[in-house]
Amino acid sequence: MPMVSFYLLVFVWPVISFLLLSFGSDISSPSLEHYEKIFQTSIYSRILYNTFSIAACVTIISVIFSYPIVYLLINVSERMRRLLFIVVLLPFWTSALVRTTAWIVILQRNGILNDLLMSSGITAEPISFVYNFSGVLIGMTHVMMPFIVFPLYASYKDLDYSLIEAAESLGSKSLQITKRIILPLTMPGVIAGSIIVFMSSIGYYITPALMGGPGQTMIAMLIENNINQTLNWEMAASLSVILLLVTLMLFIIFQKYFGFDKLLTSNIQKGSRKNFTQSKSSVEKSIMYIIGILVCIFLIAPIIIVFPMSLGASPFLEFPPSEYSFRWFESFFNDKRWIRALWNSLIAATVTMTVSLPIGTLAAIGVSKMRANLRLFFETFFITPMVIPVIIFAVGLFYFLAPLGLNSSPIILGLAHSILALPFVFLTVRASLKGFDNNLELAAFSLGSNWPNMFKKIMLPIITPGLLAGAIFAFIQSFDDVVLALFLTNIKSRTLPRVMFEGISHEIDPTIVAISVLLITLTISLFLINNLFLSGNHNENEK
Amino acid sequence: MKTKNNNSLLLEAIEKNYDSVKALKGVSLKIHPGEFCTLLGASGSGKSTILRVIAGFETLDSGRLEINDEDMSKMSIAERNIGMVFQNYALFPHMDVFQNIAFGLEMRKLDKSQIKEKVNEVLELVGLTNQKKRLPSALSGGQQQRVALARAIVIEPKILLMDEPLGALDKNLRNEMQKQIKNLHKNLNITVVYVTHDQDEAMFLSDKIVLMDEGKIIQTGTCEELYTNPKNRFVANFLGECNFFTLDSGKKISIRPECLRISGDNKNDRNSFQVDVEDVVFQGRMIKLIGNYNEQEIIASISPLEYELESNHKDKIFLTYDSESLMNI
Repeated sequence: MPMVSFYLLVFVWPVISFLLLSFGSDISSPSLEHYEKIFQTSIYSRILYNTFSIAACVTIISVIFSYPIVYLLINVSERMRRLLFIVVLLPFWTSALVRTTAWIVILQRNGILNDLLMSSGITAEPISFVYNFSGVLIGMTHVMMPFIVFPLYASYKDLDYSLIEAAESLGSKSLQITKRIILPLTMPGVIAGSIIVFMSSIGYYITPALMGGPGQTMIAMLIENNINQTLNWEMAASLSVILLLVTLMLFIIFQKYFGFDKLLTSNIQKGSRKNFTQSKSSVEKSIMYIIGILVCIFLIAPIIIVFPMSLGASPFLEFPPSEYSFRWFESFFNDKRWIRALWNSLIAATVTMTVSLPIGTLAAIGVSKMRANLRLFFETFFITPMVIPVIIFAVGLFYFLAPLGLNSSPIILGLAHSILALPFVFLTVRASLKGFDNNLELAAFSLGSNWPNMFKKIMLPIITPGLLAGAIFAFIQSFDDVVLALFLTNIKSRTLPRVMFEGISHEIDPTIVAISVLLITLTISLFLINNLFLSGNHNENEK
Repeated sequence: MKTKNNNSLLLEAIEKNYDSVKALKGVSLKIHPGEFCTLLGASGSGKSTILRVIAGFETLDSGRLEINDEDMSKMSIAERNIGMVFQNYALFPHMDVFQNIAFGLEMRKLDKSQIKEKVNEVLELVGLTNQKKRLPSALSGGQQQRVALARAIVIEPKILLMDEPLGALDKNLRNEMQKQIKNLHKNLNITVVYVTHDQDEAMFLSDKIVLMDEGKIIQTGTCEELYTNPKNRFVANFLGECNFFTLDSGKKISIRPECLRISGDNKNDRNSFQVDVEDVVFQGRMIKLIGNYNEQEIIASISPLEYELESNHKDKIFLTYDSESLMNI
């Protein structure tokens, strides 16, 4: 199995050899001094505390605000629901970097929100929303919320409406129905989502690094800092071990009770059931609606707002711009630095797709032929890169490649990105294989076909939608990555996201906003291609 | 289209285990050229496994599998040249009817004109000439079934295997398809192995029925042999209803419901016995009498006319039988 060996070489080995550093540089006499230091030094324990409290806050906020939006999703018409899904999905697919850019533009001292507040006279002084706790919370919640909305929507939708009617006929009031029926029954979905959010939050790098202040340093940043600033590899490794242990623990719990693959493969848009209207009093209903709509605005606003901003003519970001021009787009396409970065990104993304698609597809086919218990093991193994914080993988790979002098080419970066992309390819192809009837394969064989012919003529055409989705995932994974690029590229081989990241850490110039617009447009078009292809397929079948 | 592929099939002492489950426990069977042989049994009886072994989807753990005295067990699926109609049809969803049927011919590297000719011929045979550009999903269940059949016979297979091909169809359509399959078999004179759990279907179609249970063959024979001369009570029960009861004289009786008659008050008939009528079910052609004889349930199938004429007391009735129609089990 090529996927297994690729994982072992590029993923497991570098990470483990790096992690072993945590026990001191001499393997033969392992020591725990770094772990002791972590728990004794106040700055380290404060950062650990920071990490977990921020992750917890993000999780709780995401859960609270997911309910109104799901309530909205359930109760609106089919058409409206599709629209709302786009509102939720679009930010989900947009690069975290782009979203962060947009948030900073909106929230900074002289940003849009402060302009609005001050001109309307609500506040006299600009409020600092960003580079502090609130900045991190806003940014991260925006990134994480979809992970709760989807499973919650799924479990809400699976609710049997007759249960509500039964409760009503037994005399329940709406509040009691919510408390006694809806909350318990949607709890599994919420818990599933929460674990994912918490798990991803503790290892998160981009948003806290860009939107937080010194007080919001999280563990991933500390690891990065130990590598790049203080050069304390062993300390970085110890921190990584702690982060990894917590993450894996959560992952195991999750996998045991829910199963990771369901997250991606559960078809959130399938069938339209009878509208689930709970007879809440109109006041409660409108409150839920209003909050739901506000959350939608929260989700989509940053995506939309960068469009007009990118068209401003002035070198300062204004909203609305006083004059419109394409000069920032021109400045992007005329700047060699940006073009080279774009080129590097494209190379990396191409490598990622060429490597991850065939390997992931073969692995998915292989796994589908395995016996159940073996299959679970490999499935779990193949999706671990989705779970393990990228920062650990990045540092491990850096530690592995730097001595070999291999850490500065977009091709190598593409190989590294393949690890991030493979779980997505694996899962999408696996999902489409689940719809592949084994008898088709047997039928082809009994009609005289050999395996390659069967694959080419029968299996491949049928799993093409899955492959396409996988390819898009792979592309996005590579094209959006910052963390790996921070470690595995140099000034020459920098990718677009890395250059953007560096730009945002200093000051956001309008070119970055223009690039964000380009990236969003790219995301939307990939999204459309995928949907068009899928729906085209559907129509054909329904003819 | 006439096939010359008129082949015999031999299974000898075939065993197949799935982990610890013994799916086939030494199955031996000879099917003659051109015979329509039905494997009949409940689900889990091993009938489908036999089909999959013949097709090559499963390897055998031990035993011999021969077509025309040639060993098949080591051959790949593709080399065996066996046609298979799947229970769910397994039509390629992205290919239209024509492409589905042409697939096996393309694999045999026939040239385009030949393929076209053969496909059109078989389309005519199954009556789907007008549908050849449609996708499987646009066809009705019966049409899909016929495409699957056409796809399997167009390659002129040595043996045609059918795995509950009519299971997904409603009753009327199923009867219609049974007729078509029977005609097709007559016209093509091909050796068929057919799997079903429906005894009526098996009786309608088959030259030979193989009744299976728990991975073993219980009895093999023509429909009539199995029905009138079942080897044991399992066979008797599987093919139609059967009464088993003991008379006051201590005589044990095994008899089909339709072999019981109303004897009126004819006391001279020494085979007659009186039952309490518990229920009378009108079934159209026949009336089903459900009676009680010494706490034993007795079912008799009687023509409505006879019921009207002969029964004076509708709650107590004398029944009788001919000694020849007793089954010796």
